[in-house]
Amino acid sequence: MVTCSNFYDPKAKNRHACPRRALDIRQDVVVGTRILAVEDDERIRAAVKLALEDEGWTVDEAASGEEAVILFLRQPADVVLIDIMLPGIDGFELCRTIRRASDVPIVMVTARSDTHDVVAGLEAGADDYLTKPFAPKELSARIRALLRRARPAHPAHPKLVFGDLEIIPDEGKVVRSGTELHLTKTEFRLLCELAQNPGRVFSREHLLDSVWGYGYFGDGRLVDVHIRRLRTKVESDSANPRHVVTVRGLGYRLQA
Amino acid sequence: MVSIEPDMIEQDVIEGGEPSGRSSKPKRQSRRWHFGPLGLRSRILLTFGLGSLALSLFLAIATLSFTRSNLVEERTGSAIDQTYTNASRLAVDLRSNPPNIQTVLERLGADRPLVYFRGTWTGNDARFSSSVIPLSLLTSVIQNRQPTTMRIEVDNELVFAVGVPLDSSPYAAYFEFPSINDVRSTLNSVNLALILAAGITTLLGIILGAIAASRAVRPLTAASQAAQAIAGGRLDTRLAETEDPDLAVLTSSFNDMASALQLRVERDTRFTSDVSHELRSPLMTLAASVEVMQARRDEMPERAQVALDLLVADVSRFQGLVEDLLEISRFDAGGIRLNVDELLVGEFVRQAVAISSAPETVILVSETAEEMLITGDRRRLARVVANLIDNGRAYGGGELEISVFVPDDEDPPSQIWITVEDHGPGVPVEERDLIFERFARGSIAGRRSGSEGAGLGLALVDEHIKLHRGRVWVEDRHDGLDGACFIIELPAERVS
Repeated sequence: MVTCSNFYDPKAKNRHACPRRALDIRQDVVVGTRILAVEDDERIRAAVKLALEDEGWTVDEAASGEEAVILFLRQPADVVLIDIMLPGIDGFELCRTIRRASDVPIVMVTARSDTHDVVAGLEAGADDYLTKPFAPKELSARIRALLRRARPAHPAHPKLVFGDLEIIPDEGKVVRSGTELHLTKTEFRLLCELAQNPGRVFSREHLLDSVWGYGYFGDGRLVDVHIRRLRTKVESDSANPRHVVTVRGLGYRLQA
Repeated sequence: MVSIEPDMIEQDVIEGGEPSGRSSKPKRQSRRWHFGPLGLRSRILLTFGLGSLALSLFLAIATLSFTRSNLVEERTGSAIDQTYTNASRLAVDLRSNPPNIQTVLERLGADRPLVYFRGTWTGNDARFSSSVIPLSLLTSVIQNRQPTTMRIEVDNELVFAVGVPLDSSPYAAYFEFPSINDVRSTLNSVNLALILAAGITTLLGIILGAIAASRAVRPLTAASQAAQAIAGGRLDTRLAETEDPDLAVLTSSFNDMASALQLRVERDTRFTSDVSHELRSPLMTLAASVEVMQARRDEMPERAQVALDLLVADVSRFQGLVEDLLEISRFDAGGIRLNVDELLVGEFVRQAVAISSAPETVILVSETAEEMLITGDRRRLARVVANLIDNGRAYGGGELEISVFVPDDEDPPSQIWITVEDHGPGVPVEERDLIFERFARGSIAGRRSGSEGAGLGLALVDEHIKLHRGRVWVEDRHDGLDGACFIIELPAERVS
């Protein structure tokens, strides 16, 4: 995460929205959205719950990974917030466990943005990350972007076909050689974005903006890791991708 | 991953401009070392040279005196023996046939004989007459009737004067003058040989000394290089283990010192990092709670609102400080990873300014600069721009101006300058390096806008820019107005 200023300045209105584009998509958010916050520090949990409830969301709290799994299975949430540093099963393991059961958007909280943690967390199935300490406004902006993304985009065509790959945006379905694939909502959104303009090269910045709602200063690793994960699902041989192709120095492209 | 070298703990102390009483103080240091201290190498060289000189001189003198006494003694003995033999034969001849001494002498066949017989001196070499015989020899031989030998010089020739009293008549004596010039020349050549030998020995001593000195100094050179490496931040530098028992002590104590230092530096770094990490959890709670309160600001009494504003402002400042501390400790630990991209510099600066605390700042990008690419971590570089803007706003006062251009219009361009100019009082020359130090705000800061500024912003700018192989410094504004101009210089290339 980038802090845009070291010194507080009440006149700088966009301070909290800083590295991102202001995401004013509040109207998208359905009241009654459930958020599962997994955090072992009791006071942080309480404060984050307060702040998120101010956004009109319902917040379930879990102090450990084990508790989170039970809670999630009992009542699935719309977004899960996971602190990587947890006692017992850690955040990565929790991420994978939840990912096996659901395509729910996951935001993880790391201590540092420049460590292996970020990539490891994304590989484990997280959709986005935040670095401690983050402003709650930052968190709600991320959650809103994920919720928006979690719903199908407005498709131009009812069905898109790329060789053995079929995308049905309205139903949120992807079929390869007749078998339905299980994509997370972010992966699906990423695929739809690429599919909207077949053959065109999409830069990482463009994808960060259209899929995650990040501006110029978004983390390109988000795109790279998600592309990698997408390939393991839509490609028959993910080491030699046929559909999701890297264009060196420029970005990614979807082809038949 | 890019590892950085933590800056050397080395501060340029800026000398005060006023020539105060300091310069008139006597310089004791320079007086004590009038001739300058001798280095270890020179001392070893000197010891070896002087030692071998003294030793060879002693040997030469001993050899010379021994040879001389031996040679002289031998010659004296044989000369005396010869003279005695001749004297006894002469005595017999004189007794039996007194008259013609000249004939007797000729028959004797002796070398440079001289006879004193019945008041007359008879010899066959005009150079060796009675006049060359010293008085003491005469007295001793003729009066005291003692055979005596003396060394005398006649016409530059060194000879023995051997006198033997003859018993054939009172006051009769026989003298011979065997030459010992050959002894002298022998001694001379021995002398020469010895001087030469002494010279060669001394030279050899000096050469040996030089070798010994360089061998003795070699471990010191290694140690000083290692010490320099450590000072330069490579804390894991160690001296190679050695089997030399004398050096092993130096090596092991040096390595122990280096380990202790490394441990300590690492502990300090870890401490900063740990503290900052620990501070983050309470900060999270604070930030979230403050935000909840802020949403209800309008419901609060006026005094509580003021207090809340203060709280919000300082929580934010606290957050910035902790993040800066964490970043700095990352630099110190050398574990920074840059997320490098190629960036169009003009576009980058506009984006960075847009998310800064002064998004409306005027940005001038020159035509060439628009086509320049820099390679860097966009979020770290954005932070650099943001920190310079914050600094300008906190200390500079007024509007800022940001320019991006290629310095000196070089062709092909290899560098790019990003300048941030303010309308503040500027930075005094003697503080221009200091303000990039951690927590150094400069004396002028106190006169500026109160307590703003965390004191790490510019230090981070410096570290980040160094990491990007660039440099940053501050000058006066270029247009002659009051104010500071911060300049970032980064390597760049034209879009191909």
